[in-house]
Amino acid sequence: MGHIHKLFLRLILVLPVLLAFGCSRIDHKQSALDPKGLVSQNQFDVFMLSVWITIFLFCAVGGCLLYVLWRYRAKNAEEAMEIPPQSHGNSKIEVSLIIASSIILVILAIPTLQGVVLMNKVPDPNDQETLDKLSLDRSQVEDAITVNVTGKRFFWVFEYPQYGIVTANELVFPASKAVRINLRTEDVIHSFWLPKLAGKMDLMPGQENFLWFIADKDKILDGKTVAEAMPSVFDGKMRETVFAKQKFTDEFEPVGGLFYGQCAEFCGNSHAYMSFRALAQTDKDFDMWVKKFQDSQNPNLQPKAYDPEMEYSKGSEVTFNDQSLGENAQRVFLASKNVLPGQAPNLSLKVWKKAHSDDYEIGKQLFSSLQCVQCHAVNRTGIGAKGPNLTLFGLRTSLAAGWMRNDPESLSDWLKNSNDVKFGNLMWNGEGVDDSHPLRNLEDDDLKVNQLVAYLLEQI
Amino acid sequence: MAIESIKYAAPETETAVKTKAFPRPGQHTSGIIDWLTTIDHKKIGFLYGLTALFFLLLGGLEALLIRSQLWDHNMSVLTNRQYNQMFTMHGTTMVFLVIMPLSAAFFNFIMPLQIGARDVAFPRMNTLSLWCFIAGGITLNLSWFFTGGSPAIGWFGYAPLTDTRFAEVIGDMGPDFWVFSLQILGIASLLASFNFITTIINMRAPGMTMMRLPVFTWMTLIVSFLIILAFPAITIALAELMFDRTYGTNFFDFLEGGKPHLWQHLFWIFGHPEVYILILPAMGIVSEIIPVFSRKPLFGYGLIIFSGAIIGFMGFAVWSHHMFTTGMGIVATSAFSILTMLIAIPTGVKIFNWIGTMWGGRIRFDTPMLFSLGFITMFMIGGFTGIMHSSVPVDAQHQDSYFVVAHFHYVLIGGALFGLFAGFYFWLPKMSGRMMNEKLGKLVFTLMFIGFNLTFFPMHYLGMIGQPRRTHTYNEGHGFETWNQVATIGAMILGIGIAIGVYQFVNSFFNKKLKPAGKNPWDARTLEWTLSSPVKEYNFARNPIIKSRDQAWENKYGSRDNHSEKEPLDDHGVHMPDRSWCPLITGIGLFVLVLGMLFHQGIDASGELVRDYTFALIGGVVFVLGIIMWAIEGPGGYHLFPKESEE
Repeated sequence: MGHIHKLFLRLILVLPVLLAFGCSRIDHKQSALDPKGLVSQNQFDVFMLSVWITIFLFCAVGGCLLYVLWRYRAKNAEEAMEIPPQSHGNSKIEVSLIIASSIILVILAIPTLQGVVLMNKVPDPNDQETLDKLSLDRSQVEDAITVNVTGKRFFWVFEYPQYGIVTANELVFPASKAVRINLRTEDVIHSFWLPKLAGKMDLMPGQENFLWFIADKDKILDGKTVAEAMPSVFDGKMRETVFAKQKFTDEFEPVGGLFYGQCAEFCGNSHAYMSFRALAQTDKDFDMWVKKFQDSQNPNLQPKAYDPEMEYSKGSEVTFNDQSLGENAQRVFLASKNVLPGQAPNLSLKVWKKAHSDDYEIGKQLFSSLQCVQCHAVNRTGIGAKGPNLTLFGLRTSLAAGWMRNDPESLSDWLKNSNDVKFGNLMWNGEGVDDSHPLRNLEDDDLKVNQLVAYLLEQI
Repeated sequence: MAIESIKYAAPETETAVKTKAFPRPGQHTSGIIDWLTTIDHKKIGFLYGLTALFFLLLGGLEALLIRSQLWDHNMSVLTNRQYNQMFTMHGTTMVFLVIMPLSAAFFNFIMPLQIGARDVAFPRMNTLSLWCFIAGGITLNLSWFFTGGSPAIGWFGYAPLTDTRFAEVIGDMGPDFWVFSLQILGIASLLASFNFITTIINMRAPGMTMMRLPVFTWMTLIVSFLIILAFPAITIALAELMFDRTYGTNFFDFLEGGKPHLWQHLFWIFGHPEVYILILPAMGIVSEIIPVFSRKPLFGYGLIIFSGAIIGFMGFAVWSHHMFTTGMGIVATSAFSILTMLIAIPTGVKIFNWIGTMWGGRIRFDTPMLFSLGFITMFMIGGFTGIMHSSVPVDAQHQDSYFVVAHFHYVLIGGALFGLFAGFYFWLPKMSGRMMNEKLGKLVFTLMFIGFNLTFFPMHYLGMIGQPRRTHTYNEGHGFETWNQVATIGAMILGIGIAIGVYQFVNSFFNKKLKPAGKNPWDARTLEWTLSSPVKEYNFARNPIIKSRDQAWENKYGSRDNHSEKEPLDDHGVHMPDRSWCPLITGIGLFVLVLGMLFHQGIDASGELVRDYTFALIGGVVFVLGIIMWAIEGPGGYHLFPKESEE
């Protein structure tokens, strides 16, 4: 009998050691053990407090149990038949143990209540005392940005009401400012989980929920330069850096400013695929990104049809038909010099040149003719669009709600048969999409796929 | 089943009672008719246990498929929908078709023996409860074969995912099967609970005061009260969901003004007491076993019972801790957080008392004791992680991650299932009359203990590094692979352990080579151990008069004053009731009614929705007929005059 008992002891002792080796790395992409913000740091601190309390209790109670089992084991058959004193209890011991355990709970309860308040309220900018305690500057909370998050099966809409822009699946935010997140859903319950920054909060139908976070710039930089850890999004540097450093393997080198998030409430077939990313930026880079986005989503700044009466300055863009692309096809022309009235766009004139490649222009037409445009808004705000907004898509690091790397190979795989990648996704299976839908017939059409890829990835 | 019918030299020792409206199968019924019409609490308990063990293997198979799918990133053992169905069915099966009925099996078999009763208060109702449980299990699993397959909504079926509006398969019937099977299972649980409460309050042997009741019986009583108070909430929620799905009402449809939050409150005000419904029986079992194998009475008997009652009572005041992330505001989350922490105190009391019981004892490490010790340690870990996410800021990270999966499996496998297995190894000799192989039992325990910890301990870590629960796959690059593989290997080991255990339990009823158990193989303490193994159909030849708490122990070792006595046998002997067809007929009626409701909708040639209630009505009529026959069939029965030696 004894040897099984000993085997047990050994197991109990060995398991934590094994785990300690296996868990030596805790900075995984979605790890709550590697907090990079004020709120998540608080959550982590309370968690660690609870871990130490319970380890203490486990050792105390478990140690007691082991002692009793060892001390009072029946060593042989005779001893097993002995009758020990039949005591029935001791109320002094019991009461003192109850009081002791209550005290231990109070130790956990106080930081818990403080944490609840912190999670639910962005500190008041006028409350200097709280700000000092949290070591925040007044400006960090005063200039907080707001993001309205809408969950849909199975992607995320991020709307910035202060700036009038809408994007999807990649949340760009300034690292030094508090970020208020308002959470809504248009269908079932989702949950916004951004482990390194904020914990999670559900998106409840018919209700607006709230969560906030503020990143810790020093932790993001972690001794590296801004260009290394927090490269700018608006000019594509973030995407390049992520692609260069982050292989989709375990041995990735983290880019500090890139955060991974995930829907945490079961929302249907493709729940597992409903992830997202959050990208931290310096204030300047964030402003540049916002500006670029606002321009892209401003209908007044989109190229207009060529007007023969007008004079165009260098750098102006107009649309004009170009038969080489197909019948009634339009192309965007870029004025390489100042253009006088009546100089209709024509490549032989030398004052006009192609703003984009041919593939881009054909891809743009395909985007309409293959009915992509029915669900996806490009260069428009379109909050209500069925699919993710694709404005400045070429700047994104990921594709298919954070599931794939946004490079030409993945994008063409995705376009050819998205159901293979993300079984049950609504681009393939949504309302009105059946086998006759052009999207489902791209599998063998490399040419069209390449043109679409060119169009989408040039949205920069 | 080894409960052999008693053969007496009729006619002078038995007389038939002739007050029947129509025939009930009598004393000499045997074979399949005996099993279909039995009203003997021991046979019902046996059937409960056997069916639940079958579902344990089924739910375990589902779990192994889940684990295989998570072996590596982007696996395709199952499609995402199949995976979602698998975890829904696994959860629903394990909660409603395994742990609850396994507890019910022990309630049925052991509780009347512990209080000195010949049966439960309403034996036929007990049988109906059994058939409702089986009908519910069949209904749930029938869903595999119809439109949309099994439900893919999770075991807590959060609205509005259950709404037809968000169905991902046109005409998905899965949630309908889920709703109706839970409703029948609810009837089964309610019937059984009212029965047990009545039995414990009214049918205790003379001298068996409430404070002499064995702890397991106390836990039966508390759990029965929890069931009758908790189940109405889910019954209402399920009825509302049924109306939403079938008749287009708007209880949970937020686009028409319904409240998805309402579902969560109703579900968890049932669902949290349900957690204690699952764990308290196991605590009761362990509280019986530890004194026996330490040869000491339970330390702090009164406090253990009181803390059980407190846990049950407070279980109704903490439901919203499942909803910390749903946006309930600062006050509500804080209040529920503190209440949840408080519930750790009575739970801790139990653990202190179990250790106190062993203190100064003579501890034997037989299989039931090993499982009980496994229960204490594993339940402690589950309880500690529970304290962690009772803290709202911590829960903001833990909620819906694998950390929570680890937590509740520590409570429900390491806790409830280990406790129930301890119960099997402890009481099966009483049921079957044969001892099980100790070595094999210890092997089962070792496999289960190692497999269980390998499976679920790494999940704490997986949850903390960001693996969300209920996801059919994960992307590469998250570092989830290694520990998921460890967990899958652990699950296989656990599965093998459970399978051997189940084999051993079933085998003990049929294998004549096993050692006979005798009346009291463990030198145990409570009243059931004064009876022969297997127990005779009348349980007690003469009613015992109870003199002390641990009556079997006192009879053997206690002073003369504490020995139980026997009431003299009446002139008419032991009146045994006849068997009855009515519970089966009533149960079948209910089953047909449910199937009729499930299939009453159809589309006619012009594409219009048509409703046809014929089938449901037939079921309803059979159901009512069954009840009427039940009312008028009369007691029937026969008298036995067993000698005291035949107890």
